[in-house]
Amino acid sequence: MRRSFVNNNIKPNEFYALIRITVEMSKYLYPYIREILKSKEDPEENSVIWDDFNKRFIELIKERFNIESMRVKKLLNQAENDEIIIKSLLTLSFCISNQGYQKLKNFLYDF
Amino acid sequence: MQNKLSFHQSSVSLEIIGLPDYSNNENNDQISIISQWKLTIIDKPLIEGKIEHLWPIMNAFYIYSNLLIKNEIPLIESKLIDIKADNLHIHNIVLKSSKPNVKPLILKIGNSLLSDTINCFDQLNESPKVRIKKPDLHNNIPKKLRFGLNNKVKFFNFIIPPFIAICSLILFSSSFIYFNNPFENIEKKELINPE
Repeated sequence: MRRSFVNNNIKPNEFYALIRITVEMSKYLYPYIREILKSKEDPEENSVIWDDFNKRFIELIKERFNIESMRVKKLLNQAENDEIIIKSLLTLSFCISNQGYQKLKNFLYDF
Repeated sequence: MQNKLSFHQSSVSLEIIGLPDYSNNENNDQISIISQWKLTIIDKPLIEGKIEHLWPIMNAFYIYSNLLIKNEIPLIESKLIDIKADNLHIHNIVLKSSKPNVKPLILKIGNSLLSDTINCFDQLNESPKVRIKKPDLHNNIPKKLRFGLNNKVKFFNFIIPPFIAICSLILFSSSFIYFNNPFENIEKKELINPE
């Protein structure tokens, strides 16, 4: 999915380190994650936060991912990507505790 | 004098009231015998109960959050609590009272409040001040996953050596085909039965 010509397989240690970094970032960014989720809850409310987040998300995907891939195209489609984004944000928001590393690892193994 | 412990996460707070177990020489600020708990969600009615209600409610929330993430049907039904998704953003919680003639309490919470509640429960689970034999909350992880988590590497280490051994046996024994000459057998049979 990534825009790269080198197909490097991630090593287990690197994978676990990435999970740790993600959990620490989620702890730090939890108030923002929460606000993004909240902005989508009430359809009548002005969801500027959600729109800004979605716009930036799509920009980053276009920048770093192979946009010819069907799976990436699905991520870019605003009508379809809501569910993927919300579930990803929820996953991050459930993993901000001290044992969040283990929780996130469990979630990822189950995908 | 009872101890009070509070766990906060944004719009949700969980209060635990109880006593330490002095027979185990526990500190005064610990809680081992929970007498009451209160879950406060801003703009929602107060939820409170006894210890026997707390663990099933926590378990229901954990199982529901797992189902929600794993693209399975997010629906939990039990004697105490029902949780189902109204849509992708709103969750419908029905809390049933154990007392007769008390109507169930219906709450609608969004994803933000759901994650706050889960985080409050996580704080309680991880608190060193609450020493209580908690039920196995990891039942919400399916067996397939539990196996995968703990034994994925061990499984490969276990299965690869016999697999290689069987393959090498097959390769090694296939070379013995050259020692068996089928034409010789046919000749022998012809000698015995000259017809």
